[in-house]
Amino acid sequence: MRVGTSFQLATLTASSFPSSTDYGFGLSRTTATCDTGKVTSVKPVRERTTEGDVLTEQDVRTERPWNVVVWDDPVTPMSVVVVIFKRIFGYSNNKCTELMLKVHHEGRAIVWSGNRTRAESYCVKLQVAGLQSTIEKDD
Amino acid sequence: MVGNRLFVRRRDGRIEVRLNEVGRAVAKEAFGRVVAAERDPTHEWHAGLNAPIDPSEDDDNPLSSLGRQQEIATNAELAYMTLNEQFLNEGEAWAWLSTLQIALRSTAVAHGLLSEEKLASAPGDLLDFVHTIQQFLFSLAECL
Repeated sequence: MRVGTSFQLATLTASSFPSSTDYGFGLSRTTATCDTGKVTSVKPVRERTTEGDVLTEQDVRTERPWNVVVWDDPVTPMSVVVVIFKRIFGYSNNKCTELMLKVHHEGRAIVWSGNRTRAESYCVKLQVAGLQSTIEKDD
Repeated sequence: MVGNRLFVRRRDGRIEVRLNEVGRAVAKEAFGRVVAAERDPTHEWHAGLNAPIDPSEDDDNPLSSLGRQQEIATNAELAYMTLNEQFLNEGEAWAWLSTLQIALRSTAVAHGLLSEEKLASAPGDLLDFVHTIQQFLFSLAECL
């Protein structure tokens, strides 16, 4: 009777546990001997995580950031661009100058990256200050 | 070394405007045209002031457009209202700088002065206007 009960419990427990992939641990069947005979029991055993359980970069969905782009034009004085960058982004003088030179030499520069709402807000501020700016999704 | 600067920051933080009558008349024209362009959809500067934020979409985000129009109009109106002031505070000076810069870029866009070559071949009076606004901006940027 005890054997039957134990076995029944073991069977029930084994079928009630979720699969190892659900919780990250598996069940191992162990056999113990008592005075009434063989008893089969089930106890959870933590298994080492395999590489297959870890999500790869392709599995994880991340939202690509939005870039705020400032475009060059032939009339805007360089010092004005630096002042506007400093006022809007609070960057250091060196960083503002570096970005301004990038706009001047390459025709455009990404001046900020992040979520779309803030990118739009910065873009509006730059346009209000008279610079040509747009937003684009990062590649 | 104040020299011939058009704008000078004083010790109390205010910015002194040293424009003469002719200079203030140029500023008045620039500020007035920005205010008019924001209110008049048929104005030659209106399209330039309302360039889309995201060129990949057909229509701009209405909230962004509205925010931009309000801010441009507010800056231009503040600059226009303080046209005859001898001293500007930080906010007023920023309004002057943004409005002058918008006037400069709108002039360039409206006349297709989008390259060094086009700018060099622009008519004399247009080039004078561009250079005058640039002088104002150079001097004002030094104070901010």
